[in-house]
Amino acid sequence: MNERQFPANGLSDAIVSFSRFLREQGFNVGIRETQEAVRVAADGLLQHKFYFKSALKSLFCRTPEERLRFEKLFLLFWRKDPVELNQKRSEKNQQHKANQAPSTAPTLLGESPPTEEELEAVKSTTGASASEQLRKTDFSKVADMDAQHLEELSEQLFREMALRLRRRHKLDAKQGAIHLRKTIRRSIGFGGEPMQLLRKTRRPGRRRLILLLDVSGSMDKYSFYLLRFICALRENFRQLEAFVFSTSLVRITAALQESYLEFALAQIAAQADHWSSGTKIGACLQDFVDGYGKEMLNGSPLVVVLSDGLETGDPALLHTALQRIKGRAWKVVWLNPLKGNPNYQPLAKGMSVALPFLDEFESAHSLESLLKLEEMLGR
Amino acid sequence: MRDIINIIHALEKRNYVADEELATALFLVLKLQKPLLIEGPPGVGKTEVALALAEHLDAPLIRLQCYEGLDSATAIYEWNYQKQLLGIKLQEQSPVSLAEKERHIFGPDFLLERPLLQAISAKDKSPVLLIDELDRSDEEFEAFLLELLSAFQISIPELGTIKAVHRPYVILTSNRTRELSDALRRRCIYHWLDYPDHQKEVSIVKKRLNGIEHQLAEQVVTWVQQLREQKLNKTPGISETIDWAESLMALGHRELSRKAIEQTLGTVLKSADDIQRIKASL
Repeated sequence: MNERQFPANGLSDAIVSFSRFLREQGFNVGIRETQEAVRVAADGLLQHKFYFKSALKSLFCRTPEERLRFEKLFLLFWRKDPVELNQKRSEKNQQHKANQAPSTAPTLLGESPPTEEELEAVKSTTGASASEQLRKTDFSKVADMDAQHLEELSEQLFREMALRLRRRHKLDAKQGAIHLRKTIRRSIGFGGEPMQLLRKTRRPGRRRLILLLDVSGSMDKYSFYLLRFICALRENFRQLEAFVFSTSLVRITAALQESYLEFALAQIAAQADHWSSGTKIGACLQDFVDGYGKEMLNGSPLVVVLSDGLETGDPALLHTALQRIKGRAWKVVWLNPLKGNPNYQPLAKGMSVALPFLDEFESAHSLESLLKLEEMLGR
Repeated sequence: MRDIINIIHALEKRNYVADEELATALFLVLKLQKPLLIEGPPGVGKTEVALALAEHLDAPLIRLQCYEGLDSATAIYEWNYQKQLLGIKLQEQSPVSLAEKERHIFGPDFLLERPLLQAISAKDKSPVLLIDELDRSDEEFEAFLLELLSAFQISIPELGTIKAVHRPYVILTSNRTRELSDALRRRCIYHWLDYPDHQKEVSIVKKRLNGIEHQLAEQVVTWVQQLREQKLNKTPGISETIDWAESLMALGHRELSRKAIEQTLGTVLKSADDIQRIKASL
């Protein structure tokens, strides 16, 4: 990038150049925004650098992250006070018009244009693009440094998701078709005039959600985030049952009831000494059906298994267990973190046996993939 | 520039402490007649901006509170169905022609104006239209709003198109529980309102609570600012700070003490877990 790319012969031109510069930096600045900025500046209303900056900021930025980046990009672009420069220029114009040659026009970029490194620095120091990136990162590949950030991000996003899910259930009574029979019945009181129109509404579903989380060694990196996800779901589903399994099955619903996740995690760690060791998916699911099936597999619940499907036990057990679950569940969903890899094929012993019984088979390797499940759970 | 400082002073008179950035954004709203989208955490005074602006302009404030399932009947207009039925009944025996009758029952008398239509059809001067917590409404409503915010007109099939004589000043607020569409953002001036810094918050508390002692205000704000640093279920906003300071004053405390905090913690922290945790750490 050099000065010639953003030539400027006055404040209006400079604003146009600046919006082009922002556009190159990934800002969504259209012609209309530029026009408005020019209009505000041309009216001579913003005679102060600070107000000038705030005005451009409110016109050009769309998110708090962009606002952060804007501060730095603004400094990069306007090395000199743009307003001051403009004033000086016009004074100069009046005094020595003859001397004014286009080649000597001051460039608003200042002495030197921003270098690539400087621009890179702006990108890397901002939280925005970093968060965006983290959302897509595979949990197992998160660097230690980012782990805390990811934890905070996941907590925030999951909380928002729970909020949205809760709100989705509120149906408006004014929607829906007219309930003819009820309306006519009610109209009798008004001498046959249908004064009140009664409408049909759908009763919001109260489906039970059963979660079975694999906490074996191969799932180590994921199970922590998945557990957080389960905690977030608890806020929405009153009837939520959660289990963890590896070599044996442990019911953790009660532990989740404490609203402290850290506490829950500690409790689970204490209860399950098998946390992060071999996996017997089939046997554990069998235990679930035998032990809790009668109680929980009623009213067509949604059953979600979170596991990588790396079965070390007998796959035949898994087959029969899933068959029995499938028979009594509304839907069986399998979330496999390994599916995040584009080259993944469900060839693992457990996975290939399970596939025919699954209604949905999704990945669960990053925040984004987990948040996608919201759609399915909201139904 | 003087205009912007004027706005700051005017808002201050209405007990609203605005910084220069917000004032610049408001100035642009008045100048460009573009809607202003304010985002930020709960309790930082997003809604108050609209109230203060309306008072400053001496314009009526029309408020639309968004919620999931908000539809055009509650947001724009609705025909008064019961009144229409009565109207038909009353006209049954009259010799007026059928077309007349129809025009009568679909006239302005039978129209229930909801906030958006009210804002469009203001007669005297531009009102301030506050669309609160837009992120709660669903996407369909947002799409509809787009149309309104660009053309400032509403079509009613039975009556024709109503175009705004005085464009309303529109302020939209959002808690950012979901991202609003890019198209909507582009129609608006954007401002992010965050928790205030120590100094600003002290001045807000003093502004709102006449006669609060400086020491108490300082202490309360310092405490709340510290609370915000912690991981809480519900981070207290400015309104909580004010509530807390007010209740401390009402109880006759002149400075923060352990007892005072324990008595009144419920006004700052609105979750049982948070209260327990903070009490334990006292």
